[in-house]
Amino acid sequence: MALFLPALVVLIVTTSAPLVYLAWTSLERIDLSMPWLSGFAGAGNYLQMGADPRFWHSLWLTLIYTVSTVVLQVLLGLGLALLVLRIPKGQGILRVAAILPIVLAPVVVGLFWRTLVLAPDVGLVDVVTRALGLPSYNWLGDPKLALLSVIAIHTWQWTPFAFLVMLASLSSLPPDVFEAARIDRASAWQRFRYITLPLIRPAIVIVVIMRTMIALSAFAAIFAATGGGPGTATEILNLYAYRTSFSELNLGYGAALAMVLLAITLAVSFVMFRARRAR
Amino acid sequence: MANAGRVSMRGIVKRHGSFTALHGIDLDIAPGEFFALLGPSGSGKTTTLRILAGLEPLDAGQVMLDGVDVTAREPGERDVAMVFQSYALYPHMTVYENIAFPLRMVGTAKGETDRAVKDAAAKVHIDHLLARRPGELSGGQQQRCALARAIVRKPRLFLLDEPLSNLDAKLRLETRVELRKLQRALGVTAVYVTHDQEEAMTIADRVAVFMDGRIVQVGRPQDIFARPATSVVAAFIGSPPMNLLPADLRDGELRVAGVPLPAPRMAGRDGPITLGVRPAALRIAERGLPARVYLVENLGDTTIVDLDVAGQVIKLRTEQAPNVREGDHVHVAFAPEAMHVFDPATGQRREG
Ligand SMILES: Nc1ncnc2c1ncn2[C@@H]1O[C@H](COP(=O)(O)OP(=O)(O)O)[C@@H](O)[C@H]1O
Ligand SMILES: [Mg+2]
Repeated sequence: MALFLPALVVLIVTTSAPLVYLAWTSLERIDLSMPWLSGFAGAGNYLQMGADPRFWHSLWLTLIYTVSTVVLQVLLGLGLALLVLRIPKGQGILRVAAILPIVLAPVVVGLFWRTLVLAPDVGLVDVVTRALGLPSYNWLGDPKLALLSVIAIHTWQWTPFAFLVMLASLSSLPPDVFEAARIDRASAWQRFRYITLPLIRPAIVIVVIMRTMIALSAFAAIFAATGGGPGTATEILNLYAYRTSFSELNLGYGAALAMVLLAITLAVSFVMFRARRAR
Repeated sequence: MANAGRVSMRGIVKRHGSFTALHGIDLDIAPGEFFALLGPSGSGKTTTLRILAGLEPLDAGQVMLDGVDVTAREPGERDVAMVFQSYALYPHMTVYENIAFPLRMVGTAKGETDRAVKDAAAKVHIDHLLARRPGELSGGQQQRCALARAIVRKPRLFLLDEPLSNLDAKLRLETRVELRKLQRALGVTAVYVTHDQEEAMTIADRVAVFMDGRIVQVGRPQDIFARPATSVVAAFIGSPPMNLLPADLRDGELRVAGVPLPAPRMAGRDGPITLGVRPAALRIAERGLPARVYLVENLGDTTIVDLDVAGQVIKLRTEQAPNVREGDHVHVAFAPEAMHVFDPATGQRREG
């Protein structure tokens, strides 16, 4: 026990303590722009959210962002893995290349896209679209396009992860089972639908769970690319909490928003793990 | 019947890079026949079966089923079923779903599928296991599930790749008999791959013997046993297989290890020969080849005696317990009719 005590203390100080402090803060009114109003608020911060359209907007964006990035990662990752499996040589190189985006820090990815890929005039996408005679868009500055852009950035960075997991799962499938299915008159689509998909289902489920939890709490790449803007166009809940606490200095309300995100993340992962075990 | 199941393969060549797995296979199988592809491991049996199924592309040659060239057809378009050595069951499906799969893929009606699945399962005695998954079955039950999946669609051709090799010895013998009965009852053509010569000889109507990517002999089991086409076939068939001894033929006289013996009818021209004699044709006698008893193996109803003849071990098989012990000096004799003569250079059988 004495041996574990230091480790336990470090663990509590680094994980539980900040959480408890966050929970406590969420019950207080701490607005550094109006410090004279500070004091215990009880559930006040939480009740305030019900009538806060910016909160509901950020929740809605979180949902869109999470569902679309996870779906895109699974579809693209699976599609790429199926394609790569068919090429006889060079799979090793592609596997290594796929790791590159994953190991980059999200903030670097966000900046890289903002300055080199999506920037007007000099960005890669703009150069290509103008070369093709298409109109030029302000991908991160236009409120209508900014959400698409941050979804694309997240998908670009994390599809390789889904791809690698799917590729590993697909290449471990028994080839004789597919030969049996060919003899049993299953078409290519039927083999995919009735053999491949059920057999790689565990891999898909794991990717969905892991990527959902990450997407719900995404922050750095969006922060670097748009900072949540323009306006609140890309302000998912995590960014709203951050901006409330550290731009608007309303620490109590920001803490409450962060607590809600934490609760959602825990609830979603709980449900998903339950569903996974049920099968 | 609607599905005849006549197979004809012409000049099949299969290469893997610079290695040639099949050097021009020709094969004809009659409808309803139980046909075995027999040969040692690596001789090309599985490759031949897979080409017949359409799973393996070929480098040259033609595959005909009932007079129709199917060389370029997909496996699913050939109306053939296969039992894999590994069984290749669908691991995520129940036994019922496994058996129903070939019917479901072509949109067979539910009721008809249900009847066919239960019928096929009953034929191989697994109707009580329909709700299980392959992982919950014993090896023998998995094998039956694979069989049921193959017979459920009533194909014209039934391909089996060493279907009994993963079963224990007792089950193997029982299933062998059942398989034969099932094939007879269904009237379907069966092509059966095995490396076990006893299995091939007992189960098949006809056998093709494979060696190094070539068919060296095709015939009824008893004909192959009685007249092996080459010394390699002779050394592969029978348990124990035929004894082969170097011998010399001169002026109508045969000499084995320096001992003169009456020459067989078909001896042919003078010179060195390879003499073959089945273990069961040998007996211990007053006169004959001098030999030393090396090992006596008592198998209960039969006894195998290993004999050292001029430095070469030959085997003798007898139903009567021989009155010899290890180390004894004896003589072995055999009738001239029991002799097989092979060319020592080509290995080809010499006929008189
Ligand atoms: N994919 C492959 N690549 C290279 N060689 C192969 C391949 N498949 C089979 N072979 C070779 O072809 C020969 C025949 O194989 P196979 O038909 O499986 O033999 P059998 O079934 O008689 O044991 C073997 O020597 C085997 O090593
Ligand atoms: Mg084989």
